[in-house]
Amino acid sequence: MTGTIIENLSGRKLAVLVTFLLLCQITCFLIGGLVAPMPANVQNILGTVCKDTSIMKNDTTKWFYNRGKGKCKSVDLGETRHDVSERDIVFAFQMPIPREGETYDYSRWQQNLIGVLQIDIGYHSQMEVKPRSTITIDARLAYRNKEDPDYDWKLYTQSVEKRVLDCDIDIKTEDYLYNCSHIPLFELGSLYHDYYLLNIRLPIDTPDMNAHIGHIQDMWVTVINQNGGFTKVWLSLKTVFFPCIIGILVWFWRRIHMLERKPVLLEKMLLTLGIALCFLNAPFEYLTLQFDLPFMLLLGDIRQGVFYATLFSFWLIFAGEHMLIQDASAQSSLKQYWRHLSAVAMGCISLFIFDMCERGVQLRNPFYSIWVTDLGTNLALTFIILAGISTGVYFLFLCYLVWQVFINISQKRQSLPTMCSVRRLHYEGIIYRFKFLMLATLICAALTVIGFILGQVAEGQWKWDENIELEYTSAFFTGVYGMWNIYIFSLLVLYAPSHKRWPVNDNTSDTQNLSEEIEFRGFPNERSEISSLTSFIRKATID
Amino acid sequence: MKLFWKVLFSLHLLIETVLGNWWNLAAPVRPVQTSNTSLETFISMHKESCQRFDYLVERQKQLCMLSDKMVQVLQTGAQQAVEECQHQFRNSRWNCSTVDNSTDIFGGVLKFKSRESAFVHALSAAALAHAVARACSRGELNECSCDARVRKRTPRHWQWGGCSEDIRYGEKFSRDFVDVKENKESDEGIMNLHNNEAGRRAVRGRMQRVCKCHGMSGSCSVRVCWRRLPQLRIVGDSLSTRYEGASHVKIVERKRGKNIRKLRPIHADMKKPNKTDLVYLEDSPDYCEPNDELGILGTRGRTCNRTSAGLDGCRLLCCGRGYQTRVRDHEEKCRCRFVWCCRVHCEICRSKRDHHVCN
Repeated sequence: MTGTIIENLSGRKLAVLVTFLLLCQITCFLIGGLVAPMPANVQNILGTVCKDTSIMKNDTTKWFYNRGKGKCKSVDLGETRHDVSERDIVFAFQMPIPREGETYDYSRWQQNLIGVLQIDIGYHSQMEVKPRSTITIDARLAYRNKEDPDYDWKLYTQSVEKRVLDCDIDIKTEDYLYNCSHIPLFELGSLYHDYYLLNIRLPIDTPDMNAHIGHIQDMWVTVINQNGGFTKVWLSLKTVFFPCIIGILVWFWRRIHMLERKPVLLEKMLLTLGIALCFLNAPFEYLTLQFDLPFMLLLGDIRQGVFYATLFSFWLIFAGEHMLIQDASAQSSLKQYWRHLSAVAMGCISLFIFDMCERGVQLRNPFYSIWVTDLGTNLALTFIILAGISTGVYFLFLCYLVWQVFINISQKRQSLPTMCSVRRLHYEGIIYRFKFLMLATLICAALTVIGFILGQVAEGQWKWDENIELEYTSAFFTGVYGMWNIYIFSLLVLYAPSHKRWPVNDNTSDTQNLSEEIEFRGFPNERSEISSLTSFIRKATID
Repeated sequence: MKLFWKVLFSLHLLIETVLGNWWNLAAPVRPVQTSNTSLETFISMHKESCQRFDYLVERQKQLCMLSDKMVQVLQTGAQQAVEECQHQFRNSRWNCSTVDNSTDIFGGVLKFKSRESAFVHALSAAALAHAVARACSRGELNECSCDARVRKRTPRHWQWGGCSEDIRYGEKFSRDFVDVKENKESDEGIMNLHNNEAGRRAVRGRMQRVCKCHGMSGSCSVRVCWRRLPQLRIVGDSLSTRYEGASHVKIVERKRGKNIRKLRPIHADMKKPNKTDLVYLEDSPDYCEPNDELGILGTRGRTCNRTSAGLDGCRLLCCGRGYQTRVRDHEEKCRCRFVWCCRVHCEICRSKRDHHVCN
């Protein structure tokens, strides 16, 4: 009769394994903290106001930029001028901005680009801006590569977008600025080209358009991109984890196939979990270095979503399979758990729909945002709240299940003293290790949550400190990523079927022991190879 | 020997006064004849214009010649400092008035190590940092540095770890440019250096933090934060508060090994000034009466507010000399309608108003 490895592993071996995994975990954390830079980089770009003298304004071959050959004629918005009409004003943002006398360009290692618009509006006592006014933006994004001449900008995308301008002001005096919230402008899933150029116009095609937005003094665009160094560290981690998980998965599945029985649900779930992790680990990002793949942001979301969904389902089924009060005759299958899993499914589906509505549409139009229209906001909120409720229901249910498992275990424990000493010790070991793994799950989850909260809280204090050696945010990301990899790695190792036989008790003189052995062996015939904890518990139930 | 140092010191002071300060850049520049605008002459032109400012010391000229846009940035900084000073002091006896045809744009008022001098030094250092940071953000200055803030070990590539904020370069430049002129040994130098730093810190302290979440499905599992450059007016306001609470200090010499000179409050029971506080060594001169030598215009002819009990009230502003009330036709722009982008349609409203002018 065989059990899983965790039941047969000696305490010393387990300690060695745990220490090794712990060391891996610390390494992951330190790699993030000491080698990797911050995950994202921010550049604040102040718009240059260019004068568009052309008559046709919708000519997308004409671009305005403030550096290089053919740069535009800039205008000072501070003074009122009569030779410039609103149609002639173009805000130009050329990114990235030069530094240290060099013209920097984006590298494909920087992965993605997010633009946030910030508008400085001056206060005029005669003309107050309403708290929520709509601004219409004609935004055009162009790209250029290193080998192209300075003027050779090519249209990337173009869109006329409406955004809500949320402004308030504390000191209502002339020359003070409104305090306007930032406006998400665009999200590029791939940073394929070297230079980008954003041209923003504020059209007035109808008399009502852009009429109540006040006196714009400056426009800032904050561009956020992933740091190349972070991508490199992250991808290296993935490249290391990916083959490891594949390897352990193959080993796990071979072990199961060597058995005479068919794999049970828990083993199937473990395999699925491993595959989901492989999907998450697969270093697809290498492809972005060669090809223009704008769907990477969406794909990343889907990969994470699939992984979380499998992990959550696994926990449910793991707890359910150790419920100890099951109908012993029924082979457990996924169908049995449909009620338990519906919360996970609902949460995932609503998040997926939301993601498709936001990032899916952004594949076609990077300037799109679901949050702009009232209908879109309501829709998005509905899906997010649905997902939130599902998560809440799920966790309540999971806690309930785990609590029941522990109650059952402690009940069954009382019947332990009636067993013979060898088996009792063995069973106590099994329960101890089961609890140990539950504890590991709890610790992992708690560490993730604590790390996240610590990051949020500490950010305010550490953010602008001069002398921190550890890059906490990156360390948190690599640490958590490594932790869940190690967690699943150890699950696959410890829950694989063991080759070891049960310790056959040679001292058959103990008749009670023998009879119990026979009884125990003979009981669940076709299920003799599943986790012996489960079988033990089932036996005990029948007892 | 002591006499020699005194003479040398006063000579130094004299030279400094003659040379004037960098904020003279705020003065309108004489137009440079532009006959040929090819690139080479343009570059030599801006270098030439940097050399022409004879009140800049050598290092300042070097910094000015860094980039062709630098002159413009320096001028913007100086002009904004003066404008802001005039705004903040519009109700005070000294209203930050500027003098044409003088070696120093503020006349000789700032020769005193007074509160006003402290404020102007802090404000101008802040305005310069602000102007440079803005120019960096606009991409006008190629020289803006990109020091990775925290890590020194990892390569300083932009593509690896990104760049620091623009304000850091602004501060660095301001420190380099403004502080180079101060003599660390003299009392005045120590005071000015302290105030310059306080000004720069006022910019940094007023920066506003903004965050954006961009994690899975836009959740806050990944969040990035940055800081917005404050409006110079806000910095001016904050410095103005500091001006009102400025500490009167004295220089204390500590002869322990090295000769360390430190600023200490003039009375032992007063709070020790920290790095963001303004400090001054001397009381302000009398701004009530005109003084040609010092460039003080006096408050004669200034408009005052009869009902105010504050500094702009007629009693305080006119220094007890009394005031005259005239009825004037007042023309004012009213019922303005702003048309994006560049026009303001206003009507002109006329009214008769009392106008109080100091004797």
